[in-house]
Formats: sequence, C-alpha cells, structure tokens
Amino acid sequence: MIAAIHFRNFKALRSAEVRLGAFNLLVGPSGSGKTSLIQAILQLRSLAEFIDVPPTGPLAETGSGPQIVFRFPPPFAEVQISLGCGADELVCNRLTVHAPESLARDAWMALRPQLAGARAYLLDHYAMGRPSPRSAVPELSSNAGNLAAVLAGWQRNAPEAFRSVVKEFCRWNSEFSDLAIEEGADDTVGLLARIRGEESSGVTAANLSQGTLYSLAILTLAAMPDPPSILCLEEADRGHHPRQLREVRDALYRLSHPREAGLVRDPVQVVATTHSPYLLDLFKDHPEEVILTQKQGAAAQFQSLVDVPGVQGQLGEAPLGDLWFSGLLGGVPEE
Amino acid sequence: MKLAILSESPADEAALRVLTEFVVGAPVERLATNLRARGWPSVEQILPFVLRHLHFNTEADFLVVVVDSDDTPVHTAEHDAPGYFHPQCRICRLRAVYRRTMRHLPPAQGRRRVLRAIGLAVPAIEAWYLCGRDTSVTEAAWIAGQTNGRPPYTRRELKWKVYGTDRPSLTFEIRRAVEEVARHHGDVRRLENDFPHGFGALARDLRVTPDARM
Repeated sequence: MIAAIHFRNFKALRSAEVRLGAFNLLVGPSGSGKTSLIQAILQLRSLAEFIDVPPTGPLAETGSGPQIVFRFPPPFAEVQISLGCGADELVCNRLTVHAPESLARDAWMALRPQLAGARAYLLDHYAMGRPSPRSAVPELSSNAGNLAAVLAGWQRNAPEAFRSVVKEFCRWNSEFSDLAIEEGADDTVGLLARIRGEESSGVTAANLSQGTLYSLAILTLAAMPDPPSILCLEEADRGHHPRQLREVRDALYRLSHPREAGLVRDPVQVVATTHSPYLLDLFKDHPEEVILTQKQGAAAQFQSLVDVPGVQGQLGEAPLGDLWFSGLLGGVPEE
Repeated sequence: MKLAILSESPADEAALRVLTEFVVGAPVERLATNLRARGWPSVEQILPFVLRHLHFNTEADFLVVVVDSDDTPVHTAEHDAPGYFHPQCRICRLRAVYRRTMRHLPPAQGRRRVLRAIGLAVPAIEAWYLCGRDTSVTEAAWIAGQTNGRPPYTRRELKWKVYGTDRPSLTFEIRRAVEEVARHHGDVRRLENDFPHGFGALARDLRVTPDARM
C-alpha cells in the first residue's frame, strides 16, 4: 500500500502531496491531476517489475526536472522511493530507494512485488463487446477487452469466482437469468447473456448496453481470485445509472475492505476517479476517502475532503455531491 | 390500504414496508414503488412533485416519508401545538411542505387527498433497528446528548452495531434491516415507547382512519 505521494514538476502537479488510504475517490475537473496520479503509480509499477537492485541514497531534490516521491505505511514508514529524471528527459525512470542503509535492500525486496502488482483500468465497452482470443493469462486487460476470455478461464479454473460474477450480474441486471461463454471462430470466446424467460436465445456482448458491460467488468474486477495489490479505476461511475452506483461502490469496497465483506484475503488499495456527484453522495459517512483535485492556473493540488474547513457541519445539510458541485468544497473547474 | 414510500435507500424502504404493516395491523398495497430521494434536503425539494403525482395519478391513501434527523432537533410534543413551526425540525418542515402543496388541490381519484405519514429516525434509521436490542439507543438518550453537548453515539457507531461494519453492502443492509424490524412481530409498542416523537409520529399518522379523510 502507498501511504502518500509527493509530486514536484510532474505535469500540472508542480508541488503537490496526496495521502492515500485503502479506498480513495478522486474528484475534480479535467487536468487537475487525477490521471497523473494513476500514471505515477503505473510508472512505479513498471520500474518495480524490472529493477532488481535499485540505487539507494538520501532523498534530494533533482534540479528542475520532475520528481515523484512515494511513502509507505508501517513497517516501511522509514522508506521512500523516488522517481526522477533530468530536465531534458521525458519519463521519470530513475528509481531510487531512500532508507537507512540496513533497511533499504530488504524493504525493496518486500515492497517490489506489491508495487509490481498495481493495475489500472479504463474500461472500453467496444473492446469488451468483441470476442477475445482465449488466453492463458487470467488477468483482465486495462480496457477489459479480454473480459470474455477471463471469464471463460474462470469458468474452467475458478468456477466459484465465475458463479459469483454471474449471480451478481443477474442481480444487477434483473432482465438476465444467466451468462454463458460461447466458443467462436479462431479459438476466440464471447459472452452471451440469457434473457429471463427466453433462455433459448441470448444477447451477445456486442449487443449488450454500454452500462451492462461496465457493470460486468466492475463485478469481474471485484471477484478476481488473485487481485492486484493496487487497483486504479478511471471514471468508476461511467455508464451506470445513479441508483446503481451504490452497487458499484459496494463492489469496490469488497476489494478495499474484504474483511468487512466477509472475505479472507489481503485488502486491495483502490484509487478511483469520478465526475459524478451521485457517486460522491455515497461517501458522506467516509469523507476521509474523498480526495479533491484542484487547478489554480496551470498548477494542480490535492486536498482530502476531511481537511476542508467546516465540511462536517455542511454534510448534514446537503448531499455531498451538491456541495461539491456548488464549489463550496473546491475541486471544480475555474471560470 | 394503499401507500407509497419515499425513502433514501432500498434498505429503508424494505424496513418501512414491514413497519407500516405492523402499525396498521394488516397487509398494505404499495404503489409507485420506484420513488427515491437523495437524502436531506432532496426529500423536502421533491416532496411537492411526489405528492401531486400520487394525488392525481394514483389511488394512494398515504405517502410514507422517513428521514434521518442527523444533528437537527428532534420533533417533540411542543412542535405539535397549533400554529407552531420549528424551522430546523425536519418533521415540521415536511409537514409544512405537505400543507402548502395539498392546500389548493381539488379532490382526485375518488378521495379528497393523499394523507401523509412522516417519521424522523433519530439520528438515523439504524437506531430503530436496535430497538429492544440495545437499551442505550433511544430518543431520550439522544435528546439528553443534544442538551449536554455529548451525543451518546454516532451514526457510524449505530451502523457498526447493526451491520458489524460501517460499509455494509446494500444486499446485507436490506437483509439486516428486515431481520431487525421483523423482531417486533407486529407489535410496535416498544418502538413507540423508545422513539415516541420520530417513530411515534409516523405511527400516529398511519392510524388516521379513512373516515377522517373526507
């Protein structure tokens, strides 16, 4: 888990810090740093996959070039990892571990698999609608384009997870009674949703609605037998009716708070973005899980909702989404 | 009896369906089953439109509305005095909206008007779910806490007591809500005793006889 990230001269994040918890909902206007935060986590993941023995040393500012510094919760509270590059370089690919000499190597060995396990998703219903080649890799791709292949793999190798997705899918979309895997040409597989009362036929993924496919992808993410350590999801509300967002939130909470959902496994750190006031409404009782992203001119900042002065008093008087939209909390476009 | 329920969540609605039947002592027929509000003050804002819809387009006898009090004042007997209106009390405010909305509506659907049954969950509906299970959770305890500035419990603590988490899934929340209110087995006297102003007001509204309507 990542406890905090400090950005310096990284895109619009000229000097910004964000604290992260188990669940993090980022809200703010376009260009305010939501995706940049996810890109930073993905860059750290990429480097963690390939670097066996990173350089170590004291943390120092690296001139005018970008620098991203990650901090971690105990037992790694003394460890920082920085990504940096020179002013003439485009990618922050210089990874350095900053920790007491005796700790650095062991800390990297322990943190590396967690960081390499981060995944980010921007769901694409066009990609999900197409049949996908059978894959030996049971992992959902970043746009969920191999959704059918993943579910086909689970049907064979993780039937409990498959049944759980089908059951929840039919509960969310009550017009369907089942979800089947169809064999296609050239060793491809596709999805077929059975309509309740008309089980002899079905609706192919290409003909399912955008929101229906997004709901299936969210449920698949929430049911992964071997979930990532960090899961980033862009536009978590996308395609969902406002009333269904409670189910979306519940599905993501199953990842970040598995024990509270009766599951025995490690929590997944969730970083989700949204522009939906309706999704935001659902975090009235957990303002600590909301991070407002703001732009002031060309520079962007993060602010935890709990740090907004007077917010607790306002929460009883108006839906959180309305407070955000009004501009009282920040995190709105400049006009 | 035909009634519609305006609530904040499917879980509240499931519990209210059971409780309204307990109060009237007979099965009720639910109409307009897709009504939903986004919490306070959305309930207050959409109430006139919901009332007009039910009045003209349905045969509803009652609209049941229950809101959480959060940190606002509890509706007490003094608020029921003729002409009294407490500007922060959510029952007073919803009743005022009802009066303003219904005042000039002509009779429709064979009755003079849709009646209102308004309840106030103090501070949240989970308090009602704990009735009879946790004797420290009552309106009297909450009012005493408001008076001395030390609330006896928080919304979050009530959720933990009911669900074992403050992040219950919707399906679990519905299940627990129905389990807890079903414990009363048709007898709501304990609820009326422990929550005389919030639940009691709802029950008294629901017991208005049809004869009193015309």
